[in-house]
Amino acid sequence: MKTAVRTTNLWKIYPQEPDPVEAVRGISTEIETGDFVAMAGPSGSGKTTMLNMIGGLTRPSRGQIWIGDREITEMSDKDLAQLRLERIGFVFQSYNLLPVLTALENAEFTLLLSGVPKDERRKKVLELFDKIGLSGLEDRKPGKLSGGQQQRVAVARAVVANPALILADEPTANLDSKASTDLLDVMERLNQDHGTTFLFSTHDPRVMERSRRLITLVDGQIESDERRNHSSVSP
Amino acid sequence: MRLTVLLKLAMRSVGRNTRRSALTSLAMVLGLALLVFSRSLAEGAYDKMIDSGVRMGSGHIAIQAPEYLETGKLEHRLEAGVVRLASEVANDVLRESLLSWAPRLSVNGLASSTTAAVPVRIEGVDPELERAFSDIEDKLQDGRYLEAGDRLHAYIGTELAQRLDVQVGNRFVLTAQTSTGDVEGQLVRVAGIFQTGIPEVDQSLIHIPIDTAREWLHTPGATSTLAFLLKESELTDIGVETLQLKLENERQIRVLGWRESSPELAAAIRLDSTGNYIFHSILLAIIALAILNAIMISVLGRRREFGVLQAMGLTGVETGFYVFLEGLFLTVVSGVAGISAGLLFTWGFFRDGLDFSIFMEDGLEFGGQIMEPIIIPHFSVEQLLISTFVVVTIGIISSLYPALRASKLDVAEAMKFEQ
Ligand SMILES: Nc1ncnc2c1ncn2[C@@H]1O[C@H](COP(=O)(O)OP(=O)(O)OP(=O)(O)O)[C@@H](O)[C@H]1O
Ligand SMILES: [Mg+2]
Repeated sequence: MKTAVRTTNLWKIYPQEPDPVEAVRGISTEIETGDFVAMAGPSGSGKTTMLNMIGGLTRPSRGQIWIGDREITEMSDKDLAQLRLERIGFVFQSYNLLPVLTALENAEFTLLLSGVPKDERRKKVLELFDKIGLSGLEDRKPGKLSGGQQQRVAVARAVVANPALILADEPTANLDSKASTDLLDVMERLNQDHGTTFLFSTHDPRVMERSRRLITLVDGQIESDERRNHSSVSP
Repeated sequence: MRLTVLLKLAMRSVGRNTRRSALTSLAMVLGLALLVFSRSLAEGAYDKMIDSGVRMGSGHIAIQAPEYLETGKLEHRLEAGVVRLASEVANDVLRESLLSWAPRLSVNGLASSTTAAVPVRIEGVDPELERAFSDIEDKLQDGRYLEAGDRLHAYIGTELAQRLDVQVGNRFVLTAQTSTGDVEGQLVRVAGIFQTGIPEVDQSLIHIPIDTAREWLHTPGATSTLAFLLKESELTDIGVETLQLKLENERQIRVLGWRESSPELAAAIRLDSTGNYIFHSILLAIIALAILNAIMISVLGRRREFGVLQAMGLTGVETGFYVFLEGLFLTVVSGVAGISAGLLFTWGFFRDGLDFSIFMEDGLEFGGQIMEPIIIPHFSVEQLLISTFVVVTIGIISSLYPALRASKLDVAEAMKFEQ
């Protein structure tokens, strides 16, 4: 199996008075391409910090990160931006969408940035919308979509350019259980159909339930890392 | 390619954040409308001041003997030959831009009646030319202004009439030192009485026919001043220069622009425009603050949006540029709206002039000049261009700081905050 993400002895120490905060303390791990991985752990255990470091939004204090075969901790900000554009999709807890753009425009935004022609963009997004139950909502502004619909648009935007990796920080935290289930369905389907690697953090046991691998952090270290046997997903 | 995306996004942002754009526009509209309005009114007021100033004084361009401006004496006059030459050249050179012209022969003297003797300034004028030139005929209170063919008629101010205790039709005597050096008298009859509202003028100015004056003072064909009124005061400088060049060899001639011949008027306008300048600077500063504020608020409230953009693959510099473009668009859109509103407002309501007469009863005295209380706004392309330029500059400057902040955004930090 190829590795999508590899970290070695990754540390993040936030300088802070009186004592610096050690948010991530020497994490070494690998995420396989095409995997569907949940990261759990109590509040403050370092989940967001991990995701941000892997996505190149936060620079680690020590250690290395490989995305595919590229080591990113020494990259320039500009190269990191390009890397995110080409290979990483982000989904945050909420307010992922640009308020002035419609659902469709939001979803095609990374394609727009990559210079994909309009027809191709529309085709891809419409297909994706159809697949994840957003058909008919293309022209709505984010303010006129439910929380679950907004998150699905965000996931659509994250996957539309076929990135190698999707990082999602508590994507279901603001959703009710029905919307959470729907979103997980969408993520799972995209994972299976496109082989996109998902790494997401969560507090929700039902979401952890559906991952194929569950990494639990405590105090910035991996406390447990278990492969789960999923009835619905057979490799 | 990404530039076009940013451009599009910035335009969207301005177009779709309607309330914010509208508020900023409103600030700009009010500020700029006020600016355009007060500028064009000020320009109009200067036109007016200059116009009535030069009509009372010696025109936009005056031709005199070199020492006359300083002395005002009869001995410093232009003799007949010089007058003929100068008026020919001037009428030829200024032909296109000339509105009217008038010769004047002036002397200081004494006006005496049976009641009193009062020091006066006597101006011999050509009645027909003078009535087209100055607006003193409009100040008529009683009787009439001088007419062609008048001989012994005089046009005097109300205060002088009172002090001499004369009325229309009454006679009194003018005495002055003539060109021969003797003091000689001239009997005249009051043809009309005027009131300008300016005490010095109303108690000392007398118009008599220039032919009468020339005969009495033994200065055939002579004048003190050849005064020329132009269609636009902007034409003064070029006119003066051309005339000076043409009359270079005439040592007895001096060509003056109105700023030289009416220094008080020039000073008054300078003083007033300094005040205006300060007022307009303050206005522009307020507009700048409004724009800065609007952009700042929009940037501070949209950290998550910029965080998302950068998480998607925009660089910090591009994010900053996006904010900059947005600020610029906002400025241009609301700037154009503001300037148009100012123009429409000023033109729509006041193109025929703004009547200030409710504020003042007998016209406005300004720097020794009387002004009609109606001001017609003057729109100048130059002023508009300057305003536009300033607005765009303000937009650029106001957008720079927010843009810098957006480019330096810590994405991880920005995504933590709920909006
Ligand atoms: N910018 C920062 N400066 C200082 N300390 C920080 C900063 N960001 C995070 N931390 C600290 O680092 C630790 C890990 O934070 P992190 O956000 O990664 O936790 P988390 O597991 O995502 O928590 P939660 O489940 O509440 O989202 C916490 O103790 C937090 O207070
Ligand atoms: Mg977190």
